[in-house]
Amino acid sequence: MATEAKTARDEWGTRFGFLMAMIGAMVGVGNIWRFPFVTGENGGGAFILAFLVLLFLLAVPGLMAEVALGRYTGKGVIGSIRECVGTGGLVGLGLVVVLVNFALMTYYAPVVGWTLYYMLHSFLFTFTATGFDAGGFLDAFFANPTAMIAMHTVVMSIVAGVLLLGIKDGVERLVVFAVPALVIALAAIAIRAVTLPGAGEGLAFTFTVQWEYLTFSDTWIAALGQALFSTGLGWGIAITVGSYLRDYDDVPLGGGVFTAIGEASIGILAAFAIFPLVFAYGLDPAGGAGLAFVSLVQAFPEMPGGGLWAILFFSGFFLAAITSAIVITEVLITTIHEETRLSRGRTVLAVCGLIWLFGLPSAYSVEFLDFVDLVFANWGLPLATLCIIIAIGWFFGPERLRLLSVNQNAGIYVGSWWNPIVKYVIPIVMVFIMAFFAWENLGEDIMIAGMAVLVAFPVVGYLVMRYIDGRERPPEPAGAAGGDD
Amino acid sequence: MTEAMTLETWIGIGVAIVAFWGIASWAMIRTLRQEEQKTAILDEQRRMDTYSPKALSELREWIQANPDDPYVGDAKRKYNECVENLRETDQRFYDWSDAEVERHDPL
Repeated sequence: MATEAKTARDEWGTRFGFLMAMIGAMVGVGNIWRFPFVTGENGGGAFILAFLVLLFLLAVPGLMAEVALGRYTGKGVIGSIRECVGTGGLVGLGLVVVLVNFALMTYYAPVVGWTLYYMLHSFLFTFTATGFDAGGFLDAFFANPTAMIAMHTVVMSIVAGVLLLGIKDGVERLVVFAVPALVIALAAIAIRAVTLPGAGEGLAFTFTVQWEYLTFSDTWIAALGQALFSTGLGWGIAITVGSYLRDYDDVPLGGGVFTAIGEASIGILAAFAIFPLVFAYGLDPAGGAGLAFVSLVQAFPEMPGGGLWAILFFSGFFLAAITSAIVITEVLITTIHEETRLSRGRTVLAVCGLIWLFGLPSAYSVEFLDFVDLVFANWGLPLATLCIIIAIGWFFGPERLRLLSVNQNAGIYVGSWWNPIVKYVIPIVMVFIMAFFAWENLGEDIMIAGMAVLVAFPVVGYLVMRYIDGRERPPEPAGAAGGDD
Repeated sequence: MTEAMTLETWIGIGVAIVAFWGIASWAMIRTLRQEEQKTAILDEQRRMDTYSPKALSELREWIQANPDDPYVGDAKRKYNECVENLRETDQRFYDWSDAEVERHDPL
């Protein structure tokens, strides 16, 4: 368990560092290849309006709650959940979040490895070489386990290297440069893309407002998924990043509004950068992940100075991916460092080593990675969100949190309208999302695996934390449940 | 570029830029300016008000309505810290009038 002898807790050195850490964590590969396509597929501007409404309704209040809890407790996920529920088995809600983050990193690290591989090849001008075949290049990479595992290894080494330096000297020092660099790279590509002949088709695909889509349930479900998953709500990231805030820092303006809307703004910028390119060169807009790794790669040889644009694009893509990987891993480092006798350095090496080890199957097989991704995206991540929001909404109580942390030193005032959103709306939405995904995949292997995660993770979390807390901590009740009645 | 651009497309682009980049830029600039303001106040007097008038009044009401709540001790500490800072400092972060400050006594 945490020892008193551990050194004083680190803090963000600057407000800008905190903001960039939040954005760096939340902006991942999905912002670049998924958001523009989902937008175009679901009514363009109509989807953007639905997305904006849901961001303000769910993501902004939810992120405020997470950051506020982290700032209030000054602890990682498990310590923060313990503050909400008291000692005992229910602290397992926090362990569920930790397990989900660990699982997420085991398949996300290999994906970051893909972006690294492409970035390295962009510097070698591979994509603009004569006779280059984009599809064959990706197939050859996927069929080469040595290269995939090597990239996975390099990625986890970079993650460990940054985290070994700590919050201020490692994470903050990286994100204050990486996130602006990502924005500049995307902005430069966007300016070039929208001036290409035929770019208007791409802008029309993504942004034309098709009002009738606002009446379709599919539009709102897609917007809901985007609002919840792209903002990283309930993954423990915001608790962890918030736990390193200083006493006088604001929570709701930076941790809530800026994080949710700023993160989404990167997706909007990606839409300006990518879809005009896709349409200008007659590529398939429905390429999904393949859009970045196959379709776009075919556009670069056609562009004047294409080799340099490829470097810019894949460098930005890699930065988006690696900053998320680093901050998601920090969620694990912070809480395991606090909950064990391990020093931070040993925690980093142990956690990164385990992620590397358990990530080998995903690095080896893309099919395995796709399967695990579907299981955790559909059920693991919503389960983590549910655990955190239940701890805040039903144990700590939103009113207590609003008064004690959200509105303390706040840049904007948050009224009591916030309480029912945290207590009722977000949990109901998360249950709905999981039920919807289960219905869509009824009886399939991923649904069965998802149900196994939904049952096994909470049971394991409860039993492990009941044993650990029962052995090492005196019984300590939670505050009166709710606290807002 | 303009051949495929309809009024609906321009509306969508305008909404996207204003609603996302506009709000995100506003939030970032506002929070960074507030940070500068807080730093200046803290450099000058080492402490500052920690709640807005409305938020501090709500905190007081909650403390009085929930005297047995397990978090009431922490709530009182935060309330008293803010009241003391308001009384003992000249520069304030939030818009406090003297009359509003006078309405608050330590609990």
